[in-house]
Amino acid sequence: MNKTLRNHLTGYLFISPFLIGFLAFTLIPIGASAYLAFTDYSLFGKSVWIGLDNFKEMFTSDSKYIQSLKVTAIYVFGGVPLRLAFALFVAMLLNTATRAVGAYRTMLYLPSIIGGSVAVSIMWRNVFGDEGIVNLGLRALGLEGVRWFGDPLAAIWMLIFLSVWQFGSSMLIFLAGLKNIPSSYYEAASVDGANGLQKFVRITLPMLTPVIFFNTIMQTIGAFLSFVPAYIITKGTGGPLDGTLLYSLYLFRQGFEFFNMGYASAMAWVMLVIIAILTALVFLSSRFWVHYESKGGS
Amino acid sequence: MLKKRSTLALACALALTLSACSSGSNGTTPDATNKPANKGGNQEVGATDTPENVTLRMAWWGSQPRHDYTLKVIEMYEEQNPHVTIEPEYASWDDYWKKLAPQAAASQLPDIIQMDLSYLAQYGENGVLSDMSPFLGNPIDTTNIADTVVDGGKIGDKLFGFNLGVNALGFQYDPALLQKMGMSDIPDEWTWDDYMEMAVKAKDAGIYIDTGMRAEVFLAYYLRTQGASLFSADGTQLGYDDDQLFIDHFSRVTKIVLDGAGMTPDQKAQLKGPEDDPAVKGEALGIWQWSNQFVGFQQLAQRDLAMQPMPGPNRQEGMFLKPSMYFSISENSKAKEEAAKFINFFVNDIEANKLILGDRGVPGSSVVKDALRPELTPQQVQVFDYIAWAEENSSQMDPPDPIGAAEVFTALTTVAEQMEYDKLSVEEGAKQFREEANKILAKNK
Repeated sequence: MNKTLRNHLTGYLFISPFLIGFLAFTLIPIGASAYLAFTDYSLFGKSVWIGLDNFKEMFTSDSKYIQSLKVTAIYVFGGVPLRLAFALFVAMLLNTATRAVGAYRTMLYLPSIIGGSVAVSIMWRNVFGDEGIVNLGLRALGLEGVRWFGDPLAAIWMLIFLSVWQFGSSMLIFLAGLKNIPSSYYEAASVDGANGLQKFVRITLPMLTPVIFFNTIMQTIGAFLSFVPAYIITKGTGGPLDGTLLYSLYLFRQGFEFFNMGYASAMAWVMLVIIAILTALVFLSSRFWVHYESKGGS
Repeated sequence: MLKKRSTLALACALALTLSACSSGSNGTTPDATNKPANKGGNQEVGATDTPENVTLRMAWWGSQPRHDYTLKVIEMYEEQNPHVTIEPEYASWDDYWKKLAPQAAASQLPDIIQMDLSYLAQYGENGVLSDMSPFLGNPIDTTNIADTVVDGGKIGDKLFGFNLGVNALGFQYDPALLQKMGMSDIPDEWTWDDYMEMAVKAKDAGIYIDTGMRAEVFLAYYLRTQGASLFSADGTQLGYDDDQLFIDHFSRVTKIVLDGAGMTPDQKAQLKGPEDDPAVKGEALGIWQWSNQFVGFQQLAQRDLAMQPMPGPNRQEGMFLKPSMYFSISENSKAKEEAAKFINFFVNDIEANKLILGDRGVPGSSVVKDALRPELTPQQVQVFDYIAWAEENSSQMDPPDPIGAAEVFTALTTVAEQMEYDKLSVEEGAKQFREEANKILAKNK
């Protein structure tokens, strides 16, 4: 056998566990879904090629699809900034802590570890129930309780609060970013008489922009893919009045409840395009607001 | 040399990974892998006629009481048939169907599947269920089971599910709460008008009249009483032309909710399970549901409950006996014969049915039915009597729901929800539902 070929073969053999997994569980399914997106496929029967009909239906005659886009937009554009702001806030608090930082960090990260889980979603159902702790709290303050399960807008905010509460991973990244800002900057600013807010706006934020950039992209993608909370909290219906019908939940219902797997595949590809466009926009905008120290500032 | 050896080691590792993968995907059908091994085993032992070991997967939906006794039935069967191991997979109604669909697509369905009328066509016509007619007589003994009962599982000339019992709709309620409402009993020949009056009384007594009506089931009932049906015979469109029928039915249902005599959709959405149901907790007069569910309802409520036939007019046209559920055998099953044997046990064995006690519908076998009588609690006797009564006071059921029915039902539930939130008038709801449903059903043309 040719020696180079043999060398290559050995190499491929080494990475074969990954290769096989990648082929079987990623590449081939992706290819299949790309094909199915152009077919009418009922999950059991044969797939019938129907060209662009799935996509046409999505944007012209499926009002639920448009609804799911709206709900997802609220969830992403409402939830991600809030979550990042909250994560940054907590990271800054932790950054000032001097003792037992590790313990605080672990405690604050906990909600994110149990994050996507079913148990948390079930707990959330109870927390926001008509007689849940949130409504009891509101009533104690003399306010009226909110029908979290009866008002579509309230229901999506209930999901957003859940995502904000799971700020742990962004918080850790922010914390690392904060630790990287040289303290000499702050000292110099103090000497010049800057107050806390000025330091935050002029030093912390600019220095953190690469981290904010990274977190924004990761959290946006994650928010688009969010499924479990909506599924569990609304018992898979996306109710009330389709108010929590997140994109991936509707996709799931089309595929596995209504057996329109072709349509669901088409939806998945549209979601991919939407995420790609948004990510590209964030990237394009980054040169106007992201500041990299290594480039010497621009 | 070293290189060669490490390559060899890698190849081994790779082979291991691959075999792990394949057993992972087959892990759910152990009978496939067990069989050849056992054949070998048999040869070693010699010419004893011990049957081959076989593992059957069996899936059903239900609530806790059903899970409990079904597991006991399985245990009983395994004791009598030591070569059979049955792996149970159970879930609630909603989760069950979501789990089953991908399994069907992957040809990984359990051997024995509890099946419902509304999905029988979807699964049967798509070829994932096997035709059970060859098993009739042997091993499934049908001597004591009427043909009409068996035929309830047919689509065309293929038997895709074996009927486990029959069901009839009704109103199951708590007589003590009725008294609290100032009524001694519900008149036998009651009408929808009586129902609406009772709702007012229930509200005055501080309880709900009911916990809502499953939209598609009770719309279909009402349509039947008016000489129409939910789906057209060919399943390509709705089976009623006059939207007024839809409006009549949902005006009542919606009024109850909007007047505060019934639960709002968000209250229903917050229920944590059957144990949390207001009717179980004594906060609602009763539940509209199938007769077989009375047993479970009774067990959860632990009070004396009663059953009332559906309201009229034209009750006899509306009422029907429904195969409560079926056991189907999947096409991908490697042990169809063994699965059929278990089904035979389930429908014909008297001891097993003493555990089942009609929870899956009043049994089709007349022998089992008679043998159960002395075992039944007064409430369970009620279910059997109710079915006996319904046999005389009902009409032929509608054909199995067409493909796409699940999506139509979701559309109806959404419309009903919008009406109950007062976001949509009943007239608009009727129109919207017709549009959406016909769009879905048109795919069957």
